[in-house]
Amino acid sequence: MYRFLVSATVCGVFALSSVDLRAHHSFAAEFDSNKVVTLIGVVTKVEWTNPHTYFYVDVTDDQGKVANWAVEGGAPNALYRAGWKPTSLKTGDRVTIVGSRAKDGSNLANATSFSLPDGRCLFAGSSGPNGDATTTCRQATR
Amino acid sequence: MIPSTRAALRSLRAGERARRRVSVFGALGLAVMSWPAVAQWQGLPTPGLPRKADGTFDASAAAPRAADGKPDLSGIWMAPRIRVDLAQGLKKGETVPFTPEGKQIFDERRATNSKDDPGARCLPTGIPVRATLQTPFKILQTPGVTAILYESRTQFRQILTDGRSLPKEVDWPAWQGFSVGRWDGDTFVVETAGFNGKVWLDQVGTPASDAFRLTERFHRRDFGHMDVEMIIDDRKMYTRPWSTFAELLFQPDTELLEYICEENERDSARMVGK
Repeated sequence: MYRFLVSATVCGVFALSSVDLRAHHSFAAEFDSNKVVTLIGVVTKVEWTNPHTYFYVDVTDDQGKVANWAVEGGAPNALYRAGWKPTSLKTGDRVTIVGSRAKDGSNLANATSFSLPDGRCLFAGSSGPNGDATTTCRQATR
Repeated sequence: MIPSTRAALRSLRAGERARRRVSVFGALGLAVMSWPAVAQWQGLPTPGLPRKADGTFDASAAAPRAADGKPDLSGIWMAPRIRVDLAQGLKKGETVPFTPEGKQIFDERRATNSKDDPGARCLPTGIPVRATLQTPFKILQTPGVTAILYESRTQFRQILTDGRSLPKEVDWPAWQGFSVGRWDGDTFVVETAGFNGKVWLDQVGTPASDAFRLTERFHRRDFGHMDVEMIIDDRKMYTRPWSTFAELLFQPDTELLEYICEENERDSARMVGK
């Protein structure tokens, strides 16, 4: 059963809140690094596009209600150099994503990491204030 | 692909016309069939680089020289870590010498978390921050012009080295201005003027007006390392010229990739600021 967790976690890491690893835009203008979300669900659509990749995920909450989330990842260039291919995460794949929720309150998050059922942890290539992908993958699967 | 192409070339030398056609078409067919295997655009060894005994890139080898004896800056370069704030490249103890107007603009941009950054709308980024965004760019040094191809946003610059000076008056203010270059010993000095006053120098909002003039001093320490000093001169925004410094690392065995920023830009409409 898929779970939907939104945890308002106060993170001590605040080096520079506007840092975006691929620097297309200010992170803090759009996302809140204090609102960490863990999304567990099934990929419904992938956009391998600039300036950001998007992964859409159906997430089912404890009451059985399904919500579709948009998750922003890094630019294809950053992901490709980190070993991703456009098919690394496909429609139908189950995934656990840790990220930061959008400030506008919509079902939008900026990914920190992607964990796949086979144990692979994929670098998100995007906003950095909440730690590195490996750490967040480990936290998500704990 | 390579062995089959070589085979085709051998057969061409061998003579017979019909056999020649078969071999060439065979080679082409094999080349097409094997294209996905060779289409990997990363990790192919860059030819002509100094290598250690184990085949890895020797970054500490001497910087290469161009035919005119000057250092050749050509190649792909990138900052070792991301910096979105030029103040991070100040010398210790230095601060950005804002004028009151410059400080007001900067503070307004910080107060809204840079939500109005033109770069977030896929417009050009400031030239100084391109050296520190940790996105690769390629320098092509040729007689008369040195070009810089920036992967991020597919931007390019031409630095003319044909001996011309910057114009006294600029009749077309531009996002990137107009650049000329010259050598000061082994340091490549680029002067740029003619900016339009719209560009942000970095992502935190360090401002530039139409009075902005930029001097970049590139010094290739060795094959793998380059230092850049960027001198920012803008009497409207700053009380005096000031310098920010960056280090660049040569990027072996990679190539620039496509980056069409406008393809799916949706952040700007959702940037609420605070």
